Amino acid sequence: MDKSRIVMPGEMVAERPERIGYAFVDKGKTYSTVVGLYSEGKLVPLEGPYEPLPDDMIVGIVSEVRFSGYSVDTNSAYAAFLSSREIRERYEMGDTIFARIIKTDETRSIELSDAKKLPEGRLVRVSAVKIPRIIGKKNSMVDMIRANTGCEIVAGRNGYVWIIGTGDSNLAEKAIRMIEAQAHTHGLTDRVAAYLKSQKKA
Amino acid sequence: MVNGKRVDGRGVEDVRPMKIVARVLNDAEGSAYIEWGKNKILAGVYGPRECIPRHDQSLYRAVVKCRYNMAPFSGAEEHGRSGPNRRSKELSKVIKEAFENVIISENFPKTEISIFVEVLQSDGGTRCAAVTAAAVALADAGIPMKDLIGAVAVCKIDGQMAVDPGKEEDNFGESDMPIAFSPRTGEVLLFQMDGNLSREELSRGLELAKNASAKIREVQMEAIKKVYDEPKEDRFLLIG
Repeated sequence: MDKSRIVMPGEMVAERPERIGYAFVDKGKTYSTVVGLYSEGKLVPLEGPYEPLPDDMIVGIVSEVRFSGYSVDTNSAYAAFLSSREIRERYEMGDTIFARIIKTDETRSIELSDAKKLPEGRLVRVSAVKIPRIIGKKNSMVDMIRANTGCEIVAGRNGYVWIIGTGDSNLAEKAIRMIEAQAHTHGLTDRVAAYLKSQKKA
Repeated sequence: MVNGKRVDGRGVEDVRPMKIVARVLNDAEGSAYIEWGKNKILAGVYGPRECIPRHDQSLYRAVVKCRYNMAPFSGAEEHGRSGPNRRSKELSKVIKEAFENVIISENFPKTEISIFVEVLQSDGGTRCAAVTAAAVALADAGIPMKDLIGAVAVCKIDGQMAVDPGKEEDNFGESDMPIAFSPRTGEVLLFQMDGNLSREELSRGLELAKNASAKIREVQMEAIKKVYDEPKEDRFLLIG
């Protein structure tokens, strides 16, 4: 982690052709395509659009109710579809759901399953590449925010974060914004913990 | 040209001072603000998002769109009502085509990537500054690209080739030639020419532009690094 460096689009990451995500090979050398952190054969983008993958858990908003199911807004260029056959609940337009992607095809249309309606709350839109940091190792970050604010946090892989507002949801949102801005730095968990603690007393 | 100095005191190989700030807009996915000489330009990027109108969509790649626009107050002569006109349509097209070469659009079928460029103040070479700022905005948006491109113009004044003409040199010089480079490969992505140049002058111009584009890339990279060196929750312009 310490040896990682920030690379720019078009910057060489390896002298020989290698298969690295977010990189491409030209004339036997490997170059980055994004602004990212590179270390030992791994390139992590620092910013980027959400690319749907099967088994991702996402937060979506029902945008259309149709005879056979629901269209769901997913914070990406691609609309998702949730078939009525997959679910027992009924939704209305504007409901927020937490669901699993079961299938995407080459034109990136998304099919959803295992949906669950989320109770009333607040939506925070963050960059999708920062979601792993918001969740933390073994949910550590989300658990910490919950413990300090009394808010349940549902973080979708697509960059939508749903704060279920029973506690101090303002503070929870601020913490999430802080994580988003500093996602590439070290020792973030401690800083967020200190921040939450200082805000809680006040 | 007096004693090898140009109208603003620069030498032939000197680029005007350039400052770029990345990530200045809250709601655009990527953005950048550039001050290059007296040019002031804001670039914002949206996407990939659903391509509208749908007849523009491609099943195989993202469509790159660009809108270059000059504010009515941007120049010494009033530009009148802003909006599409012959000049801005041409520039939108050449900027779009420069970026189509580097954006890896195959990753995002059926979508569009929109680049918006607003010229707030112009002083010659706005299309080059627009390309330079838009490249930073695209990188800031995390859109995969094969290179971070930059552009610079070269001109002929008093029979000599010089880099990065200002407004006076552009208007009263003998020739003006904006060029965009992919610094990684040296490929030319945008090439236009006003006036006439001999073959020797043209190759000298290309050489000057290539040297300058290395400096431009440095400034671009610095702007992007700064976003991560000094992370901010709110995005804003630092005045001064």
